[in-house]
Amino acid sequence: MGDKIGICFYDSGQGFSDYFNFKELYDYASGLPQVTKIWNTTELDLKSPEKINEQIKEVNPDKMILAGDFPGEIKNLFVSAMSLAGKKAENIELASFVEHAYLNGQSTEMAKVVLLCAIKGVDIRKVLVPDEVDVHPDTLVIGGGIAGIQASLEIANGGQKVFLLEKTGTIGGHMAMFDKTFPTLDCAACILTPKMVDVGQHSNIELITYAELKSISGVPGDYKVTIHKKARKVNLATCIGCGICSEKCPRVAPSEFDAGIAMRKAIYIPFPQAVPNKYLVDEANCTYFENGKCKVCVKLCPVPDCIDLDEKDTDVEITVGNIIVASGFKPFDAKRIERFGYGKFPNVLTSLEFERLINASGPTGGNITFRSQDKKGNWIFKDGSGTPSKIAVIHCIGSRDENYNKYCSKVCCMYSLKLAHLIKEKIPEADVFEYFIDMRAFGKGYEEFYERIKQENVHMIRGRTASIKEKDQKLELRSEDILNEKIIEQEVDMVVLAIGLEAAENSNELANMLGIPSSKEGWYNEVNYNSNPVNTSTGGISIAGLCQGPKDIPDTVAQASAAAARVLQSIIKGKIQKSIKDIKLTDVETSINQLMKK
Amino acid sequence: MRYRVNPDLKLDLNRFGVKEDWQDCFHCGNCTAVCSLTEENILFPRRIIRNVQLGFKNKLVTDVDPWLCYYCGECSETCPREANPGELMMSFRRWLTIKYDWTGIARLFYKSLPAFLIAMIVVAIGIIVIGITKDFKAEAMMEFGHKFEKYVIYAVACLILLPNLLRMFWFVILKNKLKVPVFAYISNSLSLFVNLFTQKNYLKCEGDTFRWVEHLLIVIGYLGLLVITVFFNWFNTDSETVKWIGYIVGALVFIFTFDFVLKRSSKKRESSKFSHPSDWMFVVWLFLLGLTAFITRILVDAGAIENNLWVYFIHLIVIAQWGLLIVPFGKWTHFLYRAFAIYFSNLKQAALMK
Ligand SMILES: Cc1cc2nc3c(=O)[nH]c(=O)nc-3n(C[C@H](O)[C@H](O)[C@H](O)COP(=O)(O)OP(=O)(O)OC[C@H]3O[C@@H](n4cnc5c(N)ncnc54)[C@H](O)[C@@H]3O)c2cc1C
Ligand code: SF4
Ligand code: SF4
Ligand code: SF4
Ligand code: SF4
Repeated sequence: MGDKIGICFYDSGQGFSDYFNFKELYDYASGLPQVTKIWNTTELDLKSPEKINEQIKEVNPDKMILAGDFPGEIKNLFVSAMSLAGKKAENIELASFVEHAYLNGQSTEMAKVVLLCAIKGVDIRKVLVPDEVDVHPDTLVIGGGIAGIQASLEIANGGQKVFLLEKTGTIGGHMAMFDKTFPTLDCAACILTPKMVDVGQHSNIELITYAELKSISGVPGDYKVTIHKKARKVNLATCIGCGICSEKCPRVAPSEFDAGIAMRKAIYIPFPQAVPNKYLVDEANCTYFENGKCKVCVKLCPVPDCIDLDEKDTDVEITVGNIIVASGFKPFDAKRIERFGYGKFPNVLTSLEFERLINASGPTGGNITFRSQDKKGNWIFKDGSGTPSKIAVIHCIGSRDENYNKYCSKVCCMYSLKLAHLIKEKIPEADVFEYFIDMRAFGKGYEEFYERIKQENVHMIRGRTASIKEKDQKLELRSEDILNEKIIEQEVDMVVLAIGLEAAENSNELANMLGIPSSKEGWYNEVNYNSNPVNTSTGGISIAGLCQGPKDIPDTVAQASAAAARVLQSIIKGKIQKSIKDIKLTDVETSINQLMKK
Repeated sequence: MRYRVNPDLKLDLNRFGVKEDWQDCFHCGNCTAVCSLTEENILFPRRIIRNVQLGFKNKLVTDVDPWLCYYCGECSETCPREANPGELMMSFRRWLTIKYDWTGIARLFYKSLPAFLIAMIVVAIGIIVIGITKDFKAEAMMEFGHKFEKYVIYAVACLILLPNLLRMFWFVILKNKLKVPVFAYISNSLSLFVNLFTQKNYLKCEGDTFRWVEHLLIVIGYLGLLVITVFFNWFNTDSETVKWIGYIVGALVFIFTFDFVLKRSSKKRESSKFSHPSDWMFVVWLFLLGLTAFITRILVDAGAIENNLWVYFIHLIVIAQWGLLIVPFGKWTHFLYRAFAIYFSNLKQAALMK
């Protein structure tokens, strides 16, 4: 060709050099015969196109490759600089490591592929095509929230076998905890419960609850998965769900399902509609595991041998062709921000706790009451402990904050409005205050929902609260009203903290085990933001729901269905693509040569 | 008045080394609400950040509130955008100092460190030249020094500080068209003096009592040293009382400024994280001032000043640089403006109440 090729490396400073070894890439590029000269933006003066032109004109490259995490940021500058030298915009090629290498394996090796494609002028999508192999028709879904439920049902209804793996004693995830969902104010249980029952009864779905992934081996299309089943101590097949055992059990612990605002027994069912609708024993809070005594539950259970306190954990092994990860999220820990007094002032609640408090099936039957202590000194909510008349909701707790999580959690503005509505529904004369920074009402029907809540006389205050103090049983919020430039010191009875969403507990461990890339925050990465939001760069592993990033239920369900479609596609074809991330530089070199020959 | 978005201000602030973190502010109001000094009609730093973002210079120059901030750093620590509101307030005070200064010299010095250093050298050479004309005789030098100090004080006060204060008054009261009741001028004057000497507003910032005490001791030491040397001729006095008071105030100055230097270099405190050269100059020169005065007097007592005149000579150079450059055009003015800002702010409140 004889064209002179220049490369300019650019690190935007957003921390992606942690993933790519720029030095190694530099050395790799300088070893390529086509490359005439390599610059680094750190040694170039980027003030103006004229300046750049001056610095590169000695070499006068025919083609310029801008390589880096976000090379698009400097493209315009170089287009102008090159045009000064009489070169057209087409002579500039981007080698974008984040777009193509970060999501496809996060390795320097992959960045080299990106660089090579740019130098050769080959569309990377044409060479990053993995070979196809046979696929096993069974699928594993990890996580039994709405995402996992939806994906399992889609595949099972398509006639294929699904193993649904859930960490806790029941499926349902966070959605099962809500009373209503925004923006339609549909009853959450009315949507979710039938789906849960379907999962429980479906002949194509094998539900494995109270269990976690232990290890995985094999290749795309043929994964050998070992699942660690924790001992439930109650026989799933014979338990009739009568609850006699639980009634007389002497030990209590905070209920996970009620977000800790009520107590449950050591032998318990997570909630009445749980699937499977069977009891389980919480070893950590059971007397028998402390001193070998008690066994009250065993004595009272009407079914012989149903409760076996000495049951041991077991491992099961299954073979699957596809895996869908739908492991959801964990809520932000509000204790981390001391200024809001969560954990110190009883009537500062997290939104999740409040969801349970206001839920008709919650511990107070949906009555909003004050937190009080039970006989044993546990702080709980029970009916009849007074009704608050002023309730504040504070947005962006732990989100959009450099000190905690930078990102916007996307759902908390809308669920806060939903909570405001529910408060007004229960206590029409109550004053409700929404303290927000920006109101994020994106999408169909959402802005209208916001307008509707405003019509309900909820007080909207632009300005997030700085701190909460407790004074004579009341809570005093100090904030600035941005629109009016005034300090507001508002006294309320109860504060709800709109906590953000974080990657699920141990999400990185799971990612490592499965070999899928995740972001710094722990969200799992898809192959392409726009064109393929469900597959990962590991063949046969897709993602759905919150584990990929903050989103609401409609988006979660849509993504779960999309992931199921990908799985069904491969099963129908009988073939599946291997991992993109395993494609080697040498493979790419060969395919480029083949392309060039054509 | 019509406002227009003015991008110039950003460039202007850049020249004074203001970091651009303030551009990250998304107006959550946390800083204003977290600050223990904000009140009904006194709102900062967010309001000021907004005006800076939009470049409303006219509005900013008439704003007295930046002076009320004591840079406790609470806002910067809790800002969700790491926009460093406290730092902006501090750097913004520099910008205001320049706006108040009628001579334009403060602007030159803040903008260009070389200009300032050249001025420092010129002053030092001046003193050396005077030393030569006096044949480096202790008695003559000290007599000159004593007079010099007095005249510099009068001149700087009348020619620079007073006109600048009047400009400040013009900006923050008259330009805002505030109708201040005459009585308010009188009733608030006592607190002006209290604030001038004690900077007691510091105490409102929680947990900063030690910093305030340290600060107060330096002010006492500094003013004491000034009075004792200028009006009681400390270096040549025979009075035992004057002599010992002088030792005490001199020691106060250099001991506590030394601690300030240590803190500034450790950068532990939010307020010490970003230091402008003028901040360094200020504490270091104050330290030198106290130390050289102290040693000079010891040498006088020991009858050894004649042979060690260089100590006094350095003292004189430090004094001259301090009095001619740092006091009128450097950070020293902040303490003056700060005290007057509280006074003006009180006047403003009185006018708004009416
Ligand atoms: C307070 C609050 C109110 C909300 N209100 C609404 C609303 O009104 N409308 C709306 O659209 N959205 C709302 N949302 C958002 C909604 O909760 C999510 O969109 C939805 O729950 C996401 O579902 P998911 O299945 O992806 O995750 P999850 O609901 O978190 O489910 C994940 C499941 O995976 C399981 N799991 C996790 N890790 C593993 C593992 N390693 N192995 C096996 N299983 C695992 C978990 O136990 C859980 O059952 C709200 C969120 C909050 C915090
Ligand atoms: S053995 Fe454990 S679970 Fe059973 S009743 Fe006793 S405490 Fe409860
Ligand atoms: S959705 Fe609203 S409350 Fe939640 S982080 Fe984003 S802006 Fe804040
Ligand atoms: S706390 Fe930070 S982001 Fe919030 S208004 Fe103040 S400077 Fe802006
Ligand atoms: S630094 Fe302290 S005094 Fe200054 S604005 Fe911030 S919180 Fe207020």
